[in-house]
Amino acid sequence: MIPFAGNLVLAGVWAAALGEFSLTNLVAGFGLGFAILAIAPQQSSERYSRKVLRSVEFAAFFIGQLVIASFRVTADIVTPAQRARPGIVAVPLDAETDIEITMLANVISLTPGSISLDVSADRRTLFVHVMFLDDVATCRREIKDGFERRILELLR
Amino acid sequence: MDTVAALLALSGAAMILVACIGLLRLPDLYTRMHACTKPATLGVSLIVAAVAIHVGELGITARAVLIVLFFLLTAPVAAHRLTHAAYRAGVPRCPSTVRDDLDDPDLLL
Amino acid sequence: MTSTVIDLATQGALGLLALALAAAFVRLAIGPSLADRVAALEVMASTTVAAALLYAMRTGLGVFIDISMAVALVSFLGTVALSFAIEHGEPK
Repeated sequence: MIPFAGNLVLAGVWAAALGEFSLTNLVAGFGLGFAILAIAPQQSSERYSRKVLRSVEFAAFFIGQLVIASFRVTADIVTPAQRARPGIVAVPLDAETDIEITMLANVISLTPGSISLDVSADRRTLFVHVMFLDDVATCRREIKDGFERRILELLR
Repeated sequence: MDTVAALLALSGAAMILVACIGLLRLPDLYTRMHACTKPATLGVSLIVAAVAIHVGELGITARAVLIVLFFLLTAPVAAHRLTHAAYRAGVPRCPSTVRDDLDDPDLLL
Repeated sequence: MTSTVIDLATQGALGLLALALAAAFVRLAIGPSLADRVAALEVMASTTVAAALLYAMRTGLGVFIDISMAVALVSFLGTVALSFAIEHGEPK
């Protein structure tokens, strides 16, 4: 978090140096600051730059999944035939801490045809309502490989 | 630039319209919640992008981005609370439901 | 200050949102359960947010963006409170 604040300060300094706090200047300043922090011989700079790249990758993946999910739901709504095969699936969890489970549940709710419904009392299982349930194993794999793995990589 | 903003605004509004039609057409509450969260969030995000492109001022763009962030944070929480509460209150599932792993009283908290 | 393209597009988009509000209102009226009505209200709030944003685009007034932020906040709290009522508040 501290390197990120430093990066934001650098962005502000760059915009101030150019004398105009416009969005373009701030974004350019952020990019420059990121490059400087990535090169600078700090202890944590290596990990910081990797983490930012990973966050960007996750954000891109997330937006892509949100669009795909929306279009799948849209296709089912607009076409006359109802193809929805809803079901509730138990997914075993590798995520342990509150923040990991919360993040996973939130991301799942916004992405491919699934809403998180409940977490078991021992916090080992997440119950997910899926809109297009064709194969339980595939559905579990999508959630575990696609989302849980990425979120754990990002947070750990 | 104006054309891009116009297209984004129209597609966003169309997305929200689809969400509302889904609210009417889908068979039970749980599938309706799918229509509520995904297309509606995407629709609002598209319209926010249109505003940000069209206005292009830092203050307004920052607030617009804040709205998207806020939606991405709250929409899944609200959907989760509502489906969870409805399941507990015993709102029926539609007959085409193929599987229910939660249909075991021991599992409920 | 707005160009004709933006003017036409926002007008069309607002028309689509009006249809959307009507559809959601039907669901709000017919229910059948309280949870369905809450879901309809939530979508109506999203529609209102979108409409305020489109209006900001049409008029160039930043105030409408603040309005949409406020609506988004309040609707979230409303949904959570009503979910609590559905889960714990209904007499058995």
